[in-house]
Amino acid sequence: MRPNRWQWTKISWRLLRHELSRGELTVMAAAVALAVTAVLSLSLFSERLQGGLMARSAEFLAADRVLRSRSEIDDGWLERAEEEGLRSARRTTFNSMVFAEEQLALADIKAVSDGFPLRGALEVADEPFVTGVVTHSLPSSGEAWVHSGLFQQLPLSLGSTIEVGDAEFVVTKVLTHEPDAGFNVFTDSPTVLIPYTDLAATGLIQPGSRVSFHYLFAGEPADIARYENWLLPQLDDVTQRWQGIQDGDSPLSAALTRAERFMLLASLLGVVLAATAVAVAAQRYCQRNYDAVAIMKTLGGTRGQVRRIFTVHLLLLTGFSIVAGLLLGYALQAGVVWYVSSALGYELPAASGSPWFLATATGLLCALMFSLYPLLRLMRIPPLRVLRRELDASDLARSLHWIISGGTVYGLMVLYSRSWLLSAALFAGGILAMFLLLGISRLFIRASRQAGMQAGSSWRLAMAGMQRRSRENSLQMLSFSTAVMLFLLVLALRNELLEDWQNQLPDDAPNYFVVNVAGEQVDAMTQMFERENIRSTDLYPIIPGRLMAINDTPVRDAVSKEERDDTNVREGFGRELQLTWRRDLPPENVLTAGRWFDGDEPGVSVESQVAERIRVGLGDRLTFRVGADEFTVPVVNIREVDWNTMQPNFYMIFNPSSLEGVPATYISSFYLPPERRSELYQLFRDFPQASLIDVDDIIQQVRSVIGHVSMAITFVMVLVILAGGLVLVAQVQATLEEREQELVILRTLGARSGLLAKAVTYEFIVLGALAGLIATIAMELTIFILQTQVFNMPATLHWRFWVFGPLIGASIVALLGWMTTRRLMIQRTAELIRGLA
Amino acid sequence: MAIIQAHSVSRHVETNAGQLQILSPIDLRIEKGEAVAIVGASGSGKSTLLALLAGLDLPSTGHVTVDNVNLSDLDEEERAILRGDKIGFIFQSFLLIQSLTALENVMLPAELAGASNPEEQATELLQKVGLGDRLDHYPNQLSGGEQQRVAIARAFIGQPAILFADEPTGNLDSGTGAKVEDLLFELNREFGTTLVMVTHDERLAAKCDRILKIDSGKLVEQKHAA
Ligand SMILES: Nc1ncnc2c1ncn2[C@@H]1O[C@H](COP(=O)(O)OP(=O)(O)OP(=O)(O)O)[C@@H](O)[C@H]1O
Ligand SMILES: [Mg+2]
Repeated sequence: MRPNRWQWTKISWRLLRHELSRGELTVMAAAVALAVTAVLSLSLFSERLQGGLMARSAEFLAADRVLRSRSEIDDGWLERAEEEGLRSARRTTFNSMVFAEEQLALADIKAVSDGFPLRGALEVADEPFVTGVVTHSLPSSGEAWVHSGLFQQLPLSLGSTIEVGDAEFVVTKVLTHEPDAGFNVFTDSPTVLIPYTDLAATGLIQPGSRVSFHYLFAGEPADIARYENWLLPQLDDVTQRWQGIQDGDSPLSAALTRAERFMLLASLLGVVLAATAVAVAAQRYCQRNYDAVAIMKTLGGTRGQVRRIFTVHLLLLTGFSIVAGLLLGYALQAGVVWYVSSALGYELPAASGSPWFLATATGLLCALMFSLYPLLRLMRIPPLRVLRRELDASDLARSLHWIISGGTVYGLMVLYSRSWLLSAALFAGGILAMFLLLGISRLFIRASRQAGMQAGSSWRLAMAGMQRRSRENSLQMLSFSTAVMLFLLVLALRNELLEDWQNQLPDDAPNYFVVNVAGEQVDAMTQMFERENIRSTDLYPIIPGRLMAINDTPVRDAVSKEERDDTNVREGFGRELQLTWRRDLPPENVLTAGRWFDGDEPGVSVESQVAERIRVGLGDRLTFRVGADEFTVPVVNIREVDWNTMQPNFYMIFNPSSLEGVPATYISSFYLPPERRSELYQLFRDFPQASLIDVDDIIQQVRSVIGHVSMAITFVMVLVILAGGLVLVAQVQATLEEREQELVILRTLGARSGLLAKAVTYEFIVLGALAGLIATIAMELTIFILQTQVFNMPATLHWRFWVFGPLIGASIVALLGWMTTRRLMIQRTAELIRGLA
Repeated sequence: MAIIQAHSVSRHVETNAGQLQILSPIDLRIEKGEAVAIVGASGSGKSTLLALLAGLDLPSTGHVTVDNVNLSDLDEEERAILRGDKIGFIFQSFLLIQSLTALENVMLPAELAGASNPEEQATELLQKVGLGDRLDHYPNQLSGGEQQRVAIARAFIGQPAILFADEPTGNLDSGTGAKVEDLLFELNREFGTTLVMVTHDERLAAKCDRILKIDSGKLVEQKHAA
């Protein structure tokens, strides 16, 4: 009669119970739990954060998606949206003169239908230039809400009547904030918000008028996707444009894309690190059971029995660790979410169930796959080991181990990133880096060993130790340096990203634009800025104009409708351009091709993304129409513009000689501290036709999102550090246990424990410092590649880390080594001597 | 009737320096209930012979039969089952599983063999070896002599037909060693177990029915005790 299933579970449980209580499985359990914790908290958090970010970013559009069209669309399209479960609203904007008491000003008329805005909220006040409060209503028929700027230009107060086209409106509120105010300061005259139903009454919408109809949509991502599938093929590329949150128009898109990449990358590294810790721990876990297996087999245990006992043992351990990891991960994530939400002042949406699945799968995969090879070895331990202690299952091919582990790591990466390609690239890079590190480690070990030979006795002992184990040491070094490197990498990258964002939006980033400045007032305004100690950009002239032809081939939007499909036309800009002239390259602009204007040569400087889109290069001749005149100039250079800075930016900059003399208005941006806000009226009293645009709101919005993302990144970093630390602990323990015998023998031969502890500590100092140095080199290389290839940032060197890396490596590894040695020395010498006999 | 028979059993291993003969062909019969001591200098091949007789290792030439079963005809699994059924072991270094209590260590072979009441049997045996009050102690909480007594209790739990012991008292002081020896022989008599024991200890060897002397892998002498 052979025992039943419960019997195995009982034996396994007995083994496990004691091992757990003695802390022998702590590292293995902690490694699995950490992998689970990391995956669960990261994916829960990033899912919720992404939800929050999407919601926040959607506010910039006032919707999840916007369809912009030159003409009104088929009602059927809106009905279809409703069928798909989407909410929709209409918005039409156009420029028009607004009259009040015989005076007139240019305004941005915005007619919106019920439900607007679908995302975000309007804010209104009862007097101009004050902070408003959120409202969920809209002006009713015959009413208009008017932006503060118009109060400056027209003799207005609440209750006044304004004329827009043929219709009259009573001004009932001051509009202080629109979520979709956008960044396009050129077209932004003060907004006049009117009900959509009153639009027709103005008589301003006529065939041929330059009006843009916007259709806003919001709903569940899946519903949106279905609707997009249906709608997109029907759109006309020329007159209609479909826009989402991350389509590059949002000032946040660059920051968001980077943050997302960072999160993904860092959490991938975290998962891989945790997996490494599991791998190291699993090996040790099996090694310590070699004797038990040999004994069981000697006592009549068959391979099947042994397999069942240890499989159950491992499953129990894994189950226990996964549950612990899930609990911890959930708690951690809840804490971080609580902190983030309270810092941001709003709740993050709940996450789906998939992170739980992902985390559990990761825990199982890590524990089972990394233990597979060690377990297979364990099963093959011959019973003869009870007599010949050196025997283990060395006949099992090591390559099997590498294949299983490599496959698992790759599988985890795919599971986590959901991208075969990204995983493959990282994986290949990782393997390459591993071989490099391995090579460098061996070199360093050899060199330091020679250096150590001249030193005192503890050092000599340490170096002799390193020499003997140079093969094992270079493997340990590999995991030490990988852990330290990933740690440094995440730290450095985080600082880079945060600094980069901080630089784009420094505390004194311009928060107001002033537009419509007349040419003859440029000097007066410049003097005013200086006198009042206000930091401002130069005043840039603005001339509206259109691109007509490239190398004499007409562009699409410059020809009649009938000719549009003609293959002989080129893709144009699609709308009116704001042109400027300037003698030198504006700050924050970088030349990427060609050279800056030379003297009075005619020429134009083109922004790089536009150049790419309309496919023009150096020397191409562009024809523009300004007013009634047409003229042609060559492209002299291509410029990269940082669109995230709060300064006037231009697609086309001309050499002054090409444009000077054409009547222009001027634009500038400046920073006015919030506490000086009340001075605005006084400051600009002398410039009545200039209008002010307040972008403080937008800056605050961007800041809050970035604050969001920074916290997320810090959180990821902490997890990666934990994972790295665990790898170090696991490796130090494994390393020390390998040399237990040696230590005990030295000890019994009379070596004082002080000397031994020192020797071990020195060895770890050297190992750690070398690992730190290697890690720093590897980190610089990796960060260079990441900055230039993944994050699109300028590359930087990190001198601080060259000191920091080796220091951190040496101190952490030595500290861990010292602690573990001490434990070995104090608690276990007697026991070990007995065990070795 | 012979319970163990060795037919020109030899063992060699491959080393860097070529083939190394660690045991020259040996013929041997051990009768049921007999107590046999294997003696010889260190490195002479005693443990090697023991491993072959117990089926922990297979001979390079010749074969071993236990209870008329040729061990070379069995695979590793079948040999394990045979060991579980018929053979008990005691080693110099006790080889208890560190994560199991004394009681659990003793129960283990019975559990592996699927016995019905392992716990009762184990408790009884531990009481017999004088450790009735230490059932729940872990090996590292026991002295060397106590651990060896646990190992003895474990060796006897399945009431094995044969008991192999490799220097069972090698790690113990002479007083404790003597106690452990007495226990061993007492149980041997009580259960009628065949005893095969490697030892350096002349006095212990003399207590056995027969002494086999090994020198450099050769069986040089078979001496019946007086
Ligand atoms: N697998 C092997 N590879 C190499 N040499 C081996 C192997 N197995 C045994 N030997 C050698 O065979 C010889 C006999 O070993 P064995 O363990 O049987 O000696 P022993 O008589 O038990 O010695 P001791 O009294 O010291 O325990 C030794 O020299 C040993 O080194
Ligand atoms: Mg021996």
